[in-house]
This record gives sequence, C-alpha cells and structure tokens, in this order.
Amino acid sequence: MKDAKTLAYINLFAVLGAIPYLCDLDREAAELIQDKSVSVGFAVKGGPEATLFFGSGKCRMAPGVDRCQVKLPFSSCEKFNGLIDGTVTPIPSKGFTKIGFLTGPFTKLTDRLTMFLKPDAAALEDSEFFHVSTTLMFHVIAEAIAQIANHDKVGMFSASNIVDGTAKLSIAGGPAAALCCRDHRMTAVHQAPAEYLSYMEFQDMALARALFDGNVNAIAAVGLGQVRIGGQISQVDNINRILDRVAVYLA
Amino acid sequence: MNINDYSKSREAYLRACKVIPSGIYGHQGPAEGCYTPVEAWPLFSDRAQGSYFWDVDGNRFIDYMCGYGPNILGYHDPDVDEAARKQREKEDCVTIPSTKMIDFAELLVDTVACADWAFFAKNGNDVTTLAVLTARAYTHRKKIVFFKGYYHGVAPWTQKLDYSGILEEDVMHNLYVDWNDFDALAELFDCYKGEIAAVIGQPYMHGNFKDNELPADGFWQKVRKLCTDNGTVLIVDDVRAGWRIDLQGSDHYFGFEADLICFCKALANGYNVSALCGKEFLKNAVSGLSYTGSYWMSAVPFAAGIACIEKMKKLDLPKVLNEKGKKLSDGLVAAGQKYGFDLRVSGMPSLFYLRLADDPSLMLHQEWIAECVKRGVFFTTHHNHFINYALSDDDIAQTVAVAEEAFDVVRKRHPL
Repeated sequence: MKDAKTLAYINLFAVLGAIPYLCDLDREAAELIQDKSVSVGFAVKGGPEATLFFGSGKCRMAPGVDRCQVKLPFSSCEKFNGLIDGTVTPIPSKGFTKIGFLTGPFTKLTDRLTMFLKPDAAALEDSEFFHVSTTLMFHVIAEAIAQIANHDKVGMFSASNIVDGTAKLSIAGGPAAALCCRDHRMTAVHQAPAEYLSYMEFQDMALARALFDGNVNAIAAVGLGQVRIGGQISQVDNINRILDRVAVYLA
Repeated sequence: MNINDYSKSREAYLRACKVIPSGIYGHQGPAEGCYTPVEAWPLFSDRAQGSYFWDVDGNRFIDYMCGYGPNILGYHDPDVDEAARKQREKEDCVTIPSTKMIDFAELLVDTVACADWAFFAKNGNDVTTLAVLTARAYTHRKKIVFFKGYYHGVAPWTQKLDYSGILEEDVMHNLYVDWNDFDALAELFDCYKGEIAAVIGQPYMHGNFKDNELPADGFWQKVRKLCTDNGTVLIVDDVRAGWRIDLQGSDHYFGFEADLICFCKALANGYNVSALCGKEFLKNAVSGLSYTGSYWMSAVPFAAGIACIEKMKKLDLPKVLNEKGKKLSDGLVAAGQKYGFDLRVSGMPSLFYLRLADDPSLMLHQEWIAECVKRGVFFTTHHNHFINYALSDDDIAQTVAVAEEAFDVVRKRHPL
C-alpha cells in the first residue's frame, strides 16, 4: 500500500532531489541552467517543503521554502504527486517574473530527468546514458530509503529496529551514499562515509542496474559475491526491508 | 594450516541458482547465513560423521552449528541410527500410526517436568504455531506477547510487519517487550487486561548479532505468576536450547514451569520430529484443533527420538556439553588475548555465542570467523553455536589452534 504523504516526500526529496545530480552528470542538463540564477520552492500542505537553488551552473536542494524566488504551493500531497505524474499543472504563488524558467529550462530539466529515470531499453545500450541513468537511480533509491524510513508506516517499523550508526550503500567504481541512522530516523548523505557500521556494495553498475530493474535475485547475488554485505548486518537487513518498499513507491 | 578451496561448492551453487530460488534459501544459505565474505564458506556438504562434516570439495569441518542444533550426540550416532534402522525395517509412514508414538509420548511425559502430554509434528515452527493456536483456543483471546529479538519460526504470526508477504492483519495481535523487562510486561498486561492469550519466549535471549542474555534473577518466576494471575498461557520455545540445558526442559533449569513447551532440533539427533508438550488443563484445547500433517506420525523419527533421549539421560548430556563448551570458550578467549583481542562469550556454554568486542561494527569479528572457517572450523558470524557429544578434546584443541592462527592473521592486518 502506498501512502500519499510518503510518496510526496519521495517525489520531492528523492525524485526532484535528483536534479542536482542530473546537472552534475548530464551535459545537456548543465547547459539548461548555465547562467541561470533562480530558486524554486515546493510547499506541500501537510507534507514536505524544499527549494531547488540554481546558480553558477549548479543546482542544490535544501529543505524549506523561506528563501525561494518562485513558490509552487500544493494544497495536498495528492496534488503534489499529481505534478510528478503529469496530471497537475502548478500555479506559482510568487515569482511570476521567473515563470519563464519554470515553463522553459525547468520543464526541460524534469523531462530529461524522466528520460533517465524511466529509460527506453534501447537508450540504455549507450554506455554514457547507462552510466547517468544508473547513477541517478542510485541516488533516487538512497534518498527514497531515508524518506520511507521516516514517513511510511511499514518503513518506520523497519527503522524502529535499526541501531544507531551509518550504513554505506555503494556501487563499486560508482556512486556511494551514507544512510545515517539516529534514534530510528534516517538521513541520506549522497557520498561515501568515512566510517560506517555496515555496508552493502554492488559489484558494478551493470549488476546494480539489474537489481534496480528486478532482473537479478538479490539473495542469489549475495551468494555469488556480486553483492557484498558486512558489519552490523542487522542494520543492512532492516534497510533491505525498506528497500523492498522503494519498489512499491517508485514502480 | 591448509586454506580450503571451494571450487565444487561454487559450481554447485551456480547449478542451484538456475533451479532453486536464491540457490540456497533460508538460514543455511549464504545470505541469511551471513557468510561474510562468501568466499570463506563452503556451500554444500557431502557427508558427516561425529562432530565433522565434509563439503563437496572434500574439506573437513569441525562443526559448531550442528545443523543449526539437531546434531547433539554426533552425526550418525550408532545407537540412534540403529534404533531408526530397526524401525525402518518394520514401518515408517503408514496409514495408521505405530505404537512407537505412544512410547515416545510416554518417555517425554516422564522426562519433561511440565509435560502431561505430547503432540508430534515435524519442525519447530509446527509446534510453536500449535502452541499459539492452543493458547488462543483455550483463552478465547487474541494477543500474544513476544520478547524483542525473538525467533519462533517462519509462520506469518511469527514474522514482522515489514517482512515480505506479511499482512498487517497477520501480526496485528502481536505485542512486544524487551527481554528481562518485567515492568514493561506488567504494563502490557494492564493495557490489554483480559486480552492476552499467551506470552511466548525462548528460555533466554539468544538473538542474533548481539551477546546472548540469560534471564535476570527472578524474571521467569515473576512472568509465571503474572501469567497465572491473568489466565494467560506461558509458552516456552525450547526448540533451539532444548536438551542442551536441562533434559527436563529449560524452564526446569531456570526454576519455573511452562504451560506449553516446544521441542525440535536436538529431539531425535537429526531425525525429523518436533513435539509440543503441555499441562493437563490444555489437553482438551489442543485435542480440539484441526492440525495434522502427512509425515507427522512417521515411526522412524519416533524410534530415533526415544533412543536419543535415553542416551542423553544416560550420559547426563547437558552437563557434558556445558563442560565441553566451557573448555572450548576458555581456549578461544585465551587465544584472543594472546593477540590482543577481546573475545566475549555469552549464553550457556553448550550454546555459546561469540563476539569480538574490539569493533562495534562486527567487521573484525567477521574477519576472524572467516579465517577460522577457511581453516576448517565451522563457526557463524551472527548466531549462537551448538556443542555436540562427539566433540573430542582433540577437536577442541584443534579449534583453538585454528582460532589462534586466525587471530594472528587478523592482527597482522590490523596491528595494534
């Protein structure tokens, strides 16, 4: 069962939260924001709030909408989720002079994000596309784990069993993330931690992709040494249960 | 020392992955078995004898998992195997049961302190589930109290809200308290007055990834009284610890009486049978349940179980196993100290749990265990271990020698 509020947190922090990585990884995305200086806030009633800041050819996301120039309010989590699935058109409550950014570069950015996150099988044949798509997917999943741990009823149950400490999630030769657990709340930091209590590492991008797409059995992959787990395995075990929920929300 | 090669195990695993979900599912597989790194462990066995098994590559292991508990007298114990062989020549799985079933039930009633009757099945999960059904049938209540860190099998009621395939409705009547926290348990009884059908617990906390914890002084006695005062059934899940602590039941060892007690694993030295034993007042309730299975009245495991219990009694086995476990634990701790490692041993010596306390992440512990396994001592990184009667002083000495070499290897990687 999907919960609209949890989905809104995932859509904002994991899906739209991948735009900064898109701008780092994809030349065309970087060109779209070159010379742009604007911030777009998303304020969801009864749900999450965050702002995407664009400037100096970079993008970053931060919680809250206090400093945004363009504000997009949503009356409910369902309405915001409608933005992500293309059934709701947002109307800004402030920043009308910047609306051209929304209808132009920002829309193109989100289109590119969709192209990488929901790729055609043929597109994945291209190694550069494959790399960007899989890296973005990794970041979306890492962030979604944290959001589900903090908001989804079943995810919160899993989190209630996670001991304090950092779990490292990584693809060998690829991206890494730290899932920092404290008092049964989780924060995703999108880089490798210096120290960690447990780890789960996929042997390469191809294996990670196959797992993300559900084409490889994760348990067998552990047995084959394609997925390495270690340290406080109870932590990894509970994170894996949350990972199962990611598929429910992002399928 | 020789470092094991597992080429044939790997080949077999690749074969298995094609036709068996995840190659080897469950606790005997590399994922749930926490084989870290997987290359250090064998995956398929070929034969077993006494305290050893040999894998498909021909490597011999001193086995401290004992099939996760069933092997208590030694693999292929001659007395148990002979009793099973004789019974097999007569009959095993037949349309109506053998009187061996009565013999076995009588022996259990004579042996187990709280037992007035015995009901047989195959796996531990069968009888823990039967115990909960019985408690609910008797009390007409829904709630079951568990101690956190528990393991009572794999039926939906034993699993958790976040487990794959489990519905919220499967676990909505499960209540949880911390082990040894009597006040929290009493509070639960206040909150759910008249609603709690049963408290189910292992005789002590042998949860994974952490030191095992014995009951605090008076804990079980207070739990017993609380259950009695509230008309709640007290279930002891002795599937894991049974027969290695006290032949009269682990509840007897800790000075209280369960209403229902579950046995499996070591009950018949590897022959597949489990038993729920209980008090007279629950006999009608269990009789009224619709609960049976195709192989539950097979006579060969009954014969094996009778021979196993009789031999365990003759040997005063828990005492012997605890002495062996203590000797081994002392040797391992001393070996660790020699290389500056703080090895902690917890739980009963016959069911010892190991943890290197030098590293809270357990990665160092996993390294050390892996080095032991590569040299022919089968330990696990996450679970309590099991002692069997066939384990000799030479085996213990060999284990300590392997442990020392493994400590040496790990220390060289991680100098002080």
